Parts: sequence; C-alpha cells; structure tokens
Amino acid sequence: MALIDVSGLTKSYGTHHVLTGLDFAVDEGEILGILGPNGAGKTTTVECIGGLRTRDGGTITVDGMDPAAPPPGFRAQIGMQLQQCRLPAKITPHEALDLFGSFYADPVPTDELLQRFGLAEHANKRFEKLSGGQQQRLSVALALVGRPRIAILDELTTGLDPSARRDIWGYLDGLRASGVTIVLVTHSMEEADYLCDRVIIIDAGRIVADGSPAVLAEGHRSLEAAYLDLTTRTSA
Amino acid sequence: MSATAALFRNEVRMFARTPAAVVWLVLPLLAAVIIAAIPAARRPSEVFGGLSVSQAYTPTLTLFTISMVGLVLLPQLLGDYRELGFLRRLRTTPASAADLLKACLTLMGALCLVAALVITVVPLLFGVPGAVSPLRYAVAVIASTAAFLALGTVLSAVIPNPKAASGVGTAVAATQWFAAGMWYPRALFPEWLTTLTNLMPGGAAAQLMGDAMTGAGSATELGTGVLVCLVWAVVGVVVALRTFRWE
Repeated sequence: MALIDVSGLTKSYGTHHVLTGLDFAVDEGEILGILGPNGAGKTTTVECIGGLRTRDGGTITVDGMDPAAPPPGFRAQIGMQLQQCRLPAKITPHEALDLFGSFYADPVPTDELLQRFGLAEHANKRFEKLSGGQQQRLSVALALVGRPRIAILDELTTGLDPSARRDIWGYLDGLRASGVTIVLVTHSMEEADYLCDRVIIIDAGRIVADGSPAVLAEGHRSLEAAYLDLTTRTSA
Repeated sequence: MSATAALFRNEVRMFARTPAAVVWLVLPLLAAVIIAAIPAARRPSEVFGGLSVSQAYTPTLTLFTISMVGLVLLPQLLGDYRELGFLRRLRTTPASAADLLKACLTLMGALCLVAALVITVVPLLFGVPGAVSPLRYAVAVIASTAAFLALGTVLSAVIPNPKAASGVGTAVAATQWFAAGMWYPRALFPEWLTTLTNLMPGGAAAQLMGDAMTGAGSATELGTGVLVCLVWAVVGVVVALRTFRWE
C-alpha cells in the first residue's frame, strides 16, 4: 500500500519549470532512491513531499495527509535531512540531539545515536569545530531522532568517508527492517544499488526511469551505465 | 520538557557562549555605575528639573538597553538562524515558529528586565534617590520591554538576513531614541511632536519612566502610556506570527 503518493507534481521558480508532472508512489517500508543530474528537481521533489515547498500543481498525500496543509502530527511522522542546513556554531552534538529529541514523544536516546553515528567522542565538541563528515553524520542523526515513520534523506552520505558511509547504510538497513519508509536523494549509484528497493531517475523535471536497481541495470554494465545512458539520452 | 522550554534552555546556553552579545548589556550598566560614582552627578540639578544627572539618566540607560536588546539583538539572532538554515531545519520538526519566538522572547525579556533592575538599583547603592513611584516605574519597564520586543519580533519575522536585520533594527532604534528625547530633550518638543512621539514605544516609555521618577503625570496619562505600549506589543506579536519566514 502506498504511504506516499505523488501525482502530476509541477513546480516552477519564476519562468524555470523545475518539475513538469511527476507521478510516483512509495510503499510502506520501501526505500526509494531518487537519482538525477544537478538541477533535475530531486530536492524540490522531496521538499514538496516534506511540506517545505509549496507545489504549483498536482497532488501529494503522505499517509493520507497533504503536506501543503499539514495537520498536527504530520511533522512528528517525518524525519528530514536537508542539504545545506547548519546548526548554531556553539551547539554541541549532544545538545543538538537533546534539543531535537525534545520535540518528539518517544525520541531515540541521545547516547545511542551518538554511539551509532560515531559521534560519541565528539559529543561535547562545538558544531563549528566538527569536520564536514561529522556535521553530516549529526545531520542524519537529527533526522532520525524522532523515530520517524518516513525518513527523507537528501544527499545522505555526501562528504563521508567509506567507513562512515557503510555505518550509515547499516543503520538504514536496520530502519528498513523495522518498517521505516525511506526516500533517499543521492548521486551515489553504489548507495542506490546497495540500499534502494526501487529507484526513479529524474531528468529535466520528469521521471525517465522507474524500477529496481537490478531491473534498471539490465542490458547495461551497471546501474551507473544505465543512469548515464538514460540521462544523456533525455538531455540530448 | 516542552519544545518552548527546550528551545529556551538552548537559547540561554548559546547566549552565554556569545560574549559579543553581552556588550550591549554591559555598556549601559557600566555607564550607570560611572555616573552614580561621580559626586556631582548625584546632586539635584536645575537642568533636570530638580533630579540629579544619575536619576535623569536611569530611564535613558534603561530605554537604551531595552531598545538594543529588542531591536538589534533579537532580529540579529533570528536572522543568523535563518541564514544558517537552522530555522529551516527546525521547520522539519514538530516545533513551531511560535515555540521558537516564545523561547527567544523569554530570554530577551529576561535580559531586559534584569538589566533594567541593575541600572535602577546601582544609583541607590550610591545614595541616589530612586523613583518617586517604584511601582509605576516597574510597570513602565515591563510595558516598554513588551513593546520593544514585539517591534523587534516583527523585524525578525520579515527581514531576511542578519546584516540587514542589524542595520534596520539600529535605524528603528534611533527613531525611538529620538522619540524618547535622547537626541533632543522632549521638554523642548512642540506639542504636536510630543503627541506624535507619545504614540511610539520610545516616546510612551520615556514619558512613563520619566513620570514615575518624578511622581508627575495622572493615572489617565499612566494608563494611556501603558495602553500604547501594550497595543504595540499585541499588534507586533500578531504581525510577527503571521509574517514569520523560516527561510
């Protein structure tokens, strides 16, 4: 059963048409990957689903709710990790997780998240002193502190070393097992291949492919080869 | 712990770790100490209608502090958060704009009231007589704080970045200092200018505090001044909540 349903989604910024009619659904417990070149409309799509941007046309329902007019309780169900969002320079990871956790009825204990995301040793270091990778891990942990039913993760592992990336993938595997629905925006084919049950590829504001990584890779050497073929063909 | 309480605790922590912000509080407090420490400034003066310089400057320093906190510090804080993307990040959570504004307003309000208390008490320690009507003075401080914070909240809600917020806030503060008689004595204002500035937070606050210091002014004048401040406070908060921009 679809937990997220997007139908005929359109969005423009001025005269620039970013999304020109997207249709897709995400089933409960599924991990959907959204791939596409820079500027294809991936972030706009997930921000419309999360209620951070107002769509121009089409409909979106998230567990039966319209994100454009979110009822009370909507945000408690969704954990979002955004691109380019920083925290106050002087806050520590421990304080940030405590703060964000206090917004939810049953948050994941702070120490558990610090441990899980490799931040325990840096728990009392100020945000401004954390490395880019540590800031990124904290950002992901903040998205998941409220035990969301739906996690929207935009460029989840950008800036992370391979070991940290694998750790986070392991955590998401655990979330999948517990039934969390995940929408993942990524540029990493390896990540999409490893984590996603299904992938949609967006190019120039429309979906050019929709299927499991294995199905999309059929007839190509890899998912990346399929991606390059599909996006080059539509861009040409 | 509620979202507002958690955000308030966080704001207190962040403020305590930002020494630069404390300057605006320390300077007026220092000025109050220095003025009260000068013997001549403790003696009644004809120029100030029988008040000493220290007495006359107590409302001025209090108003300056409240206006800087409300019109400069508050918009700058929220502007910084907006520029960082922290407001956007908060928007993805169940915390609301009202929770954040309540937390910031509580902190800034507490700073204003504590600063006003210290500025008022310091001259007393040097033997300078306090306000003839301390209760009216307290009401004046509270009403002024509410008005200036609400005005600052509107600026915070609509000004996109911290640099602009700081600039606009200082400009608005300057107009309120004029209304309060800091640029040019209110006693020398023509009647129409007195009436006009009495409708502004700066003018109403200066009138309320000045009257409380000397014991002048009727109950009606007190009520009018408080009403002006409260109207600014209520309208300001309503406008801020309706126009608040997360990004």
